[in-house]
Amino acid sequence: MKKLLYPAVVMSLILASCSSDDEAGDVQQDVDVPTNYSFERGGETTVQFPGQTTRLQMSTELIGSFNNFDTATEESLLNMFAHVEGANDFENTDLNASGKNIKSKTAASADYFSANATESAEIKADFESYISDQVNIVFPNENTIAEPGVAGQIADGSSVRYVNEKGVELNQVFAKGLIGALLTDQILNNYLSTSVLDEASNRENNDNQILDGDNNYTTMEHKWDEAYGYLYGDPSIPTENPNSVLNESDDRLLFNYLGRVDGDEDFEGLAEDVFTAFKTGRAAIVAGDYELRDEQVAIIKENISKTIAVRAVYYLQAGKEAIANNDMGGAFHDLSEGFGFMYSLRFTNNTNTGAPYVSPSELETFKTQLLEGNGFWDVTPETLDTISETMASAFGFTVAEAAN
Amino acid sequence: MIKKGLFLLLMGMIVFACSEDESTNPDESDDAFDRKAMLVNWADNIIVPSYTAFNTEAKNLETVINNFTENPSVETLQQTRLTWRESYLTFQHVSMFEIGRAEALNYRNRVNVYPTNTSEVDNLIAEGNYDLSLPSTIDAQGFPAIDYMLNGLAVTNEEIVAFYTTNGNAQNYKDYLNTLAETISTLTETVLNDWNNGYRDTFVDNTSSSASGSVDKLANDYVFYYEKALRAGKVGIPAGVFSNEPLPEKVEAFYKEDISKQLAIEALQATQNFFEGKHFNSATKGESFKTYLAYLNTIKNGENLGNLITAQFETAKTNLQGLNDNFSLQIENDNTKMLNTYNELQRNVILMKVDMLQAMDISVDYVDADGD
Repeated sequence: MKKLLYPAVVMSLILASCSSDDEAGDVQQDVDVPTNYSFERGGETTVQFPGQTTRLQMSTELIGSFNNFDTATEESLLNMFAHVEGANDFENTDLNASGKNIKSKTAASADYFSANATESAEIKADFESYISDQVNIVFPNENTIAEPGVAGQIADGSSVRYVNEKGVELNQVFAKGLIGALLTDQILNNYLSTSVLDEASNRENNDNQILDGDNNYTTMEHKWDEAYGYLYGDPSIPTENPNSVLNESDDRLLFNYLGRVDGDEDFEGLAEDVFTAFKTGRAAIVAGDYELRDEQVAIIKENISKTIAVRAVYYLQAGKEAIANNDMGGAFHDLSEGFGFMYSLRFTNNTNTGAPYVSPSELETFKTQLLEGNGFWDVTPETLDTISETMASAFGFTVAEAAN
Repeated sequence: MIKKGLFLLLMGMIVFACSEDESTNPDESDDAFDRKAMLVNWADNIIVPSYTAFNTEAKNLETVINNFTENPSVETLQQTRLTWRESYLTFQHVSMFEIGRAEALNYRNRVNVYPTNTSEVDNLIAEGNYDLSLPSTIDAQGFPAIDYMLNGLAVTNEEIVAFYTTNGNAQNYKDYLNTLAETISTLTETVLNDWNNGYRDTFVDNTSSSASGSVDKLANDYVFYYEKALRAGKVGIPAGVFSNEPLPEKVEAFYKEDISKQLAIEALQATQNFFEGKHFNSATKGESFKTYLAYLNTIKNGENLGNLITAQFETAKTNLQGLNDNFSLQIENDNTKMLNTYNELQRNVILMKVDMLQAMDISVDYVDADGD
């Protein structure tokens, strides 16, 4: 059924739904949804999101530096996180020249954090603590075998994992947590927020084709593209047709896991739904059809939120299986990814409530349960099942659907 | 995930089909095959004799390498290579038994992860200070690291010997090479001793048909080995099945160059022998997966499944034999043959992992690694 949602069908659905609504009908019939994410004005593209690509590249390089035992320091990693323009923090010199950084956009959305500076600061501090603990707790034990209460290395098949004293791989928690705190938060709760899309005179300017300074786009168009860029902005992803490299790009953040979830037949078609909603919404903005735009926002919010929840459940269940097979190294890797995705649930957005699908206080309880005592060394299958079931039911899928 | 989903779906259909059967024939689900006889044949006639033989080879390698480092010359180097090759071949007969102490020690990975990390080896030699029990050194030890040290340090034999004679760090090279051989030998002796001092009885007495039973566990270890270490490791990965381009530098014994085929054939023969319950170094056969399938009278496409699997082993072997002794050259010159061989190896993954395990009511206990 989902596969039928090709543009033409979407168009006809839109047209069909319009016919009962005479007033809006004339406008909506003008919405022309292209095959690709390709929008032009005067023969030149109106789509740009270099700032998003920059932050994704910064995130990737920072995450990749977590295990640079010989060269990374607490200071060097924290500087990558809170980069200052011109500082030589990255190998990629283009990033050094940028005035953008990761930290300022972490837990920084208009909807969730503009009036919640306290929690925003706590979340930023969490990410900084992952960096500090990696350098201060894991690095000194690089050549120590990990044990309960002792950081060090542990075999995962022919790979090696470096964990803290609770069995947590901090680079995984950081990476998967950032998928929520930076990417998802910025997409769902900032750039696709009505308060951002419709800020000030954005609608009026968009209706009247008043462009954003010297740029070839209206402010509203650009906000939408910035949301798009956090998902599809990795340089290995073609902007116009991102799903052509689904599960084949170099991206290891949100787009990668959108592909993974789409590859599970229980959620097949999800990646196409998200892309179709993005281009339909963008076309609706061009046509000035804000009702249609907001319908697409709801589709994107639901599916990206679900992507994170499915991976959280998937990894907690994979960790449970690995523990049962006495494969603690494999289990810690899975559980660390699961913990990070669970952390990211804080940034999901249920459009019925305007809040995360699982409450922040409940997520705090889960984190405590997973980390108490010796953490992953002695977490029980019952705890992993209970948390998995709570998360899955909040989203309306089953643990089994996510786990396979 | 898609594949797993399909598999579960298939499983679900099969379970459904079975439960229908049960209603008419309630006693069929727990078969009366003598699992214990099979476990005894495995342990006493295949596993322990294989480890015993390899333990002797590993000790011999340790001695020969020790002699080489005491008297480094082109001649002793060449003797060492021969012994290394013989022991590497025998290792192919124990690599599949990653159970008990071997599993706890991560034995297969410590003895045969390739390609070896040459810069890590170089670093450890330069530092002269290492602990090969650390998981981070897994790719700097075992047969592949010895391969590098005997065959890959330089082009000519004289140049290689010079690392152990005139090189400013010659003592560190000798020490590291000795440690590599000693580690294989110690690990193997530990596993063998465990089998000889109690584990054999634990193993053959655990006849449960649950996931924790010996049959279920070793069946999984065996199929995992065949799928990942043999089919993928020796053929699929270097042929580029799992990557955008072929990776000829990922063949087994890369530096020796001309034994990758021999090692693969030996490994395939060992897995076939085990499937058929053939005693180590003997033509005698005992209870096995194959006799179990015959007992269950499992038919696929009108043929006995056990016979199909044996025939497929033979086909894959014929394909392997048609390849260049050096898989790297085979991949570079005509990778199609390599890929065809992979396909033939893959057919037995299906017959064993899906058809055989289902017939025996054994659940697969591993999933494909996530890759990140």
